[in-house]
Amino acid sequence: MTGREGSFHTKHMLDYGTKVVAGVTPGKGGSEVHGVPVYDTVADALKEHDIDATIIFVPARFASDAIFEAIDNGIPLIVAITEHIPVLDMLKVKRYAKLKGSRIIGPNCPGVIVPEEINLGIYPPRAFRKGKVGIVSRSGTLTYEIAEVIKKEYGQSTVIGIGGDPIIGTSLDEVVEMFEKDPETEEVVIVGEIGGTMEEKVAKMKMEGRISKKIVAYIAGMTAPKEKRMGHAGAVVYMGMGTFESKMKAFKEAGIPVATTPYDVLKLL
Amino acid sequence: MKLYEYEGKELFKLVGIPVPRGTVTEEPIKWDGKAVVKSQLLEGGRGKRGLVKVTDDVYSTIEELKKAGVKKFLVEEYIPHNRELYISALIDRETAEPIIVASPEGGIDVERATNVKVFHVPLERGLRDFDVIQIEKYLDVKGLKGVVQGLYRIVTEYEAELAEINPLAVKDDGVIALDSKVILEDNALFRHQDLLQKLGRSYEKPESFVELDGDIGIIGNGAGLTMATMDMVKLMGGEPADFLDIGGGAGSDKVEESIIKLARNPKVKKIVMNIYCGITRCDEVAQGIIKALEKVRIPIYVRLVGTNEEEGRKILSQKGISTYEDPLTCIGEALRS
Repeated sequence: MTGREGSFHTKHMLDYGTKVVAGVTPGKGGSEVHGVPVYDTVADALKEHDIDATIIFVPARFASDAIFEAIDNGIPLIVAITEHIPVLDMLKVKRYAKLKGSRIIGPNCPGVIVPEEINLGIYPPRAFRKGKVGIVSRSGTLTYEIAEVIKKEYGQSTVIGIGGDPIIGTSLDEVVEMFEKDPETEEVVIVGEIGGTMEEKVAKMKMEGRISKKIVAYIAGMTAPKEKRMGHAGAVVYMGMGTFESKMKAFKEAGIPVATTPYDVLKLL
Repeated sequence: MKLYEYEGKELFKLVGIPVPRGTVTEEPIKWDGKAVVKSQLLEGGRGKRGLVKVTDDVYSTIEELKKAGVKKFLVEEYIPHNRELYISALIDRETAEPIIVASPEGGIDVERATNVKVFHVPLERGLRDFDVIQIEKYLDVKGLKGVVQGLYRIVTEYEAELAEINPLAVKDDGVIALDSKVILEDNALFRHQDLLQKLGRSYEKPESFVELDGDIGIIGNGAGLTMATMDMVKLMGGEPADFLDIGGGAGSDKVEESIIKLARNPKVKKIVMNIYCGITRCDEVAQGIIKALEKVRIPIYVRLVGTNEEEGRKILSQKGISTYEDPLTCIGEALRS
């Protein structure tokens, strides 16, 4: 957290009321960032503090090392903001996390925010207000956009950006399951995009009656050409899997209303 | 990073996948006997567009294709064969493990093929003989070990997103890759400088830009918001000319560059910008717009909210550029005018 982004967002998170107790940067042990002590290793930090979540701002080449270190030290929740982590690194990290029982959110994501309580991420506070709608999203700015659309009338319980990469720690369907069990959440908004089949999985869960709460969806990428990467490494349709049409069809069959634009989500709640 | 067919085949040779004898040329060359002249382009569908030719007269075939605007050719020996297969390797995002995808039908459009089978090969154990036997049985062919091993290595060692042979020709005495499609992962290229050097390629930061057929230039920040903006333009009756994501934390230079890039495309008649600033700052975006408009003249419709919103709007209004808070109004205005 001693880097440019890490330090900037540490301040923002502290201002929001997040309890940031320690930072880790190899070689910078003993220093402080905005009054938060910095350690050389996660193990050193754990000697002084109880830690139940960590946020990773480490550059892509070294990000997987940082996540492995957090997993090895038994930190249960790891939020990875870093973009451009190689797929093979994430593949190994994801499988190791599963083996050791840590949950990863991201990478290439805006993090997790519980409005008016905790901002474990890079969220601009203006879009958020405490409320009853859970949002799970594959896209950063689109999350802010939709949060703001529903802010006045509903507010949000928890907002989770799962990231736009092909391999991510926590998927849409896993977050929807968590919202189903969360007493603070009454309805769920999912923000999907082309690529992958996570949206189809959520539709299947809904259809099978495993989700009782109301779900409203939006999917970006209606006009995207196939086999072209639309910014996010995950937003590409290979071999016909995860097209806009297949997602729309799955949601329709499951009775999940899909907003035509991000700004129509409010009308469907 | 997409590789040209001949570059993909260089990589095939490195990992032991057999390819036809051939040479790369930019000029007409003499060749004894029957050959295949293949235009080297990064787009697919070359066969359908008449850019791959089987010929006895390589020299004049190249001359002819050069007139059609092709710059580089791969000339290969013609390979008589009995059957064609499809085979590829990639990482399956759902299971987070490498897969081999195979079809007994080659030359297919794999998206539409129905007889495609997926074989999972977890990284923890790597490719094993029993994997190869299963794939050989499915394709009803022997001697695939080298090919499967090679494709698997391209994905797991060279970190390709996709390594595809379509078609793989079956001859009496073995198999041979008639085509190659390899996409290396940009994020992992820093680990493969040797390969880049071998191919004579240098790494360029990939742009979040995709060209489309319409006339409305689209700029957004964040992939999701940019895609959503494209979709809205389409829904409201316009045709997007592109997808251009300036990314997170873009400064005024990046914004300026993006606008100039779109304005230089003669197809682009106007630009819609949809910006929700978080890490990015509205005043930076506004300065970028002003700088760009000093160099190019193109109508631009700007939706601008978020961090430093007031400063950003002030900068633009001083120059007579109006901004919108609501993206739908912004797009509506752009389409009407």
